[in-house]
Amino acid sequence: MTTDRGMVERSAPRFWFEGRSYEARPGETVLDRLVQGGLPNLQRSPRYHRPRAPFCGIGQCTGCLVGVNGRPTVRACRYVPSDGDRVVTEHGWPSRRFDLFGGIDYLFGHGIDTLHGFRRPAFATPLYQRVVRRLTGYGKPPTAASAAGLAVPPEIRDVDLVIVGAGRSGRAAAAALVAAGIHPLLLDRRADATPVPGAELLPSTTVTFLPARAGTPEAPFELLGYAEPARGVLVRARRVVVATGSYDASLLFESNDSPGVLSGDGALALARSAGRPPFRRAVVFGAGERARTIVERLGDYIGAVVAPGDIPPDLVRAASAAGILLYPRSLVRSARGRTRVRSVEIRARSDAAATSIDCDGLILAHRRLPNGQLFFQAGARMGWRAGTGAYYPIVGDDGTTSVPGVWAIGSASGTLGTASVGSGERLASALTGRSLPTSPLERVRTDGPNELEGYYRELLRPPRSGRWIACPCEDVLLDEVEKATRIGYRGIEVVKRYTGLGTGLCQGRYCLPDALLLLSIAEGRPPSEVGYTTQRPPVHPTPIAALAALDGAIGLSEGP
Amino acid sequence: MSVPKRSEYSVVILGAGIIGLYTAYHLARAGVGPILVVDRGFLSSGASGRNGGGVRQQWETRATVRLARESVEAYRHFGRDFGYNIWFRQSGYLFLAETEAELARLRPVHDLVRSEGLPSRVLDAEGVGRLVVGIAPGAVVGGTYLATDGTLYPFPAVWGLYEAVRAQGVEVALGVEALGLETRDGHVRGLATSRGPVATSRVVNAAGGWSGDFSRAAGLDVPNHASRHEILASEPMKPFLDPMVVRPSDGLYFSQTMRGEVVGGLTLPHPPGTGQGMSNSSAFLPRMAAALVRLIPRFGALRVLRAWSGFYDDTPDGFPVIGEDPRLPGFYHANGFGGHGFMLAPSATRRVARAVMGETTDLDPSLFGPGRFLVPARPSTAERLQLG
Repeated sequence: MTTDRGMVERSAPRFWFEGRSYEARPGETVLDRLVQGGLPNLQRSPRYHRPRAPFCGIGQCTGCLVGVNGRPTVRACRYVPSDGDRVVTEHGWPSRRFDLFGGIDYLFGHGIDTLHGFRRPAFATPLYQRVVRRLTGYGKPPTAASAAGLAVPPEIRDVDLVIVGAGRSGRAAAAALVAAGIHPLLLDRRADATPVPGAELLPSTTVTFLPARAGTPEAPFELLGYAEPARGVLVRARRVVVATGSYDASLLFESNDSPGVLSGDGALALARSAGRPPFRRAVVFGAGERARTIVERLGDYIGAVVAPGDIPPDLVRAASAAGILLYPRSLVRSARGRTRVRSVEIRARSDAAATSIDCDGLILAHRRLPNGQLFFQAGARMGWRAGTGAYYPIVGDDGTTSVPGVWAIGSASGTLGTASVGSGERLASALTGRSLPTSPLERVRTDGPNELEGYYRELLRPPRSGRWIACPCEDVLLDEVEKATRIGYRGIEVVKRYTGLGTGLCQGRYCLPDALLLLSIAEGRPPSEVGYTTQRPPVHPTPIAALAALDGAIGLSEGP
Repeated sequence: MSVPKRSEYSVVILGAGIIGLYTAYHLARAGVGPILVVDRGFLSSGASGRNGGGVRQQWETRATVRLARESVEAYRHFGRDFGYNIWFRQSGYLFLAETEAELARLRPVHDLVRSEGLPSRVLDAEGVGRLVVGIAPGAVVGGTYLATDGTLYPFPAVWGLYEAVRAQGVEVALGVEALGLETRDGHVRGLATSRGPVATSRVVNAAGGWSGDFSRAAGLDVPNHASRHEILASEPMKPFLDPMVVRPSDGLYFSQTMRGEVVGGLTLPHPPGTGQGMSNSSAFLPRMAAALVRLIPRFGALRVLRAWSGFYDDTPDGFPVIGEDPRLPGFYHANGFGGHGFMLAPSATRRVARAVMGETTDLDPSLFGPGRFLVPARPSTAERLQLG
């Protein structure tokens, strides 16, 4: 039986994939099930048809897109199958394993220049257009049947207080508020988000801010979004607490898109799904709290820790106890292996000699970044913190932002690790006017040494070879970004339009942070002057059916 | 940010969008110089970087049909002339009629377009269904279709022009705001900018949605007003839709770009003016989504990636304003394109350049001239069709 959310199955559903039937445990996603047979290469990259596998495991990257029952670009890591579902891969001809168009990757060694190329001879223009058009796109357009079942009544809530994100800080705030007699609405993207007694939770729900109605400052904030698979969600709230958390960033090196390169989130999520990690011996990049967590949890499957700077004593101890090799102050130069990482080439900082480490996974755990889209959309004042190379909302200790009615807590607001709980509790104290017990609060350094900028300065020195993918969703190469700078296009907004970087499904989540550092180096000015791209609604790809269901619920209103 | 290098220019152009840059290009080719183009934003930050890329030749008057046809010819050779591939794809423009009455109203345009030698066709519902696979049964009775209309990718057109005019010696100062005109004896003498004053006897107002604000600040009562239009893009899909589809009744339009995204918009009654900023309204995403799903049900399973907005520069009669302002010699209009700047830019700016050089143009001043708003409006004899 399927509940109205389509998420929970009472009996084990069986779905079909490439002629085989798979039985999924209740609540298990398609990727949870498939990864039990090893990390699957579900995708081909859009321009060069490079093999791609899941990277993030948290529904943000483009590594696990599949088609389900004629509906394209479904994220396998988010989709809980129903009995009889037909799951297909959408890239690769004749198959995802053997893709004839994979030859493009070899033929166009210097990249495909769609800005200047394909102009001559003029009479061939229509032919070029037909061919190029065929080769792009994430999947086949949806069938009518696949859209028919998506029309469901929307979820519309008018509430006093909504908390976006049911992670550590969001739940801590919710629990403290409930104890003080305030019952917030909790939203979370995950299907398996943990509820808080006394607070209603909408799981599998993703929202975006819409501008407040002009001229009526007391009007509620409107959050527009959807619940998987395509239920429209509209939340009007007087107060919005943003607790959207943080995520593990990507990294630039040669073949950084290789299957087996995983974000820290991805490594942990996929290990959880399959009961064991989808690799036998991985290299961890990073030396902070995140790297330590990964070493602690997956130590048996980690062969080496590579860090851009020094490795702190506690990680040294944990790693040595597990027999893990340590490479402090090192650069990751490249990943080798086309359909799966087979080795990683590293180099000590300020040294020419390279070392190759055999491995079947590379886990990026060097940099945790805030999910800050809602702050940008709310118009909150943001501050650049060089330590992580990211923008954070400027907040008071109780989580107030520059926008009245919008609060920021947890790692999205720049608290570190377990301090997220403290930020949620402080917020609850502020909102209830009571002095509640609070845990310690520790924030991300505002002025760190900017280790990564120095790292990239050294890494990017020529000569370079191979593909460095600056934007995996759109297959934009580092060379293209550098070329744009060279011919005079400055600032992230212009480079984004010039190269297409940041315009794909993840909306810049994985490419922008590195692009800001790259442009800062290339343009010779601080990253904060390179600018930031406008965070456009709906931020997360949202089914048209979900939005259409909300027509009529929203009157014509104006932006500020 | 850049600073004007000289203290005096032969011509200063406001706006580094498609109209401003194309005007600079034609002027520089004719030997006019030195030329300065100022823009307060970054390249393509205005409507030239925010439009849906449609280029059509189906217009309500012979003059605009001809301008559009000339522009199509220019875009066909843009790659050769400017080195950038704008992916101008002539896959047609389809105007939908939901009723026989609407179809009847499209006919005069069809007849006019055909009389100009363009292969416009009237389609019945079945013909529309062949072009737009999956259209809801009964959604339309037919439409008009011109196969040589098309779509292009706006950004490379801006890059190509930007690089071309700079190679011609034109200065393009980005991040520089035009603050006001300096006049003496009723003639333009200079321009105040956020980076200091520059002397010039000719200023071209090609500031798009902001052109009306600038003219009025200079003391000229112009009827231009900015109207905010919103637009969205879907995730990129394999090709399934060739033409640009337009529904005049509510301004719905969409096409599938070379990259595979469905890009389109819908007209909402936003109040005029630039003060509202380029954000999205609450209503747009739900309303646009509902319009798309009603017309093509399978769009429901497609995802929206992002929405944004930009300003049309509208005039009361829907025609652009081209030429010298009779009240202020030396002040030239190249504005009021009402969301059609890209469609008409190559040809219209040729006329702008001629006007700036003091030459006569083939444009009817009663249709395009700035002076047309200074005489009492003629009573309209026929209901005019606004194609969108």
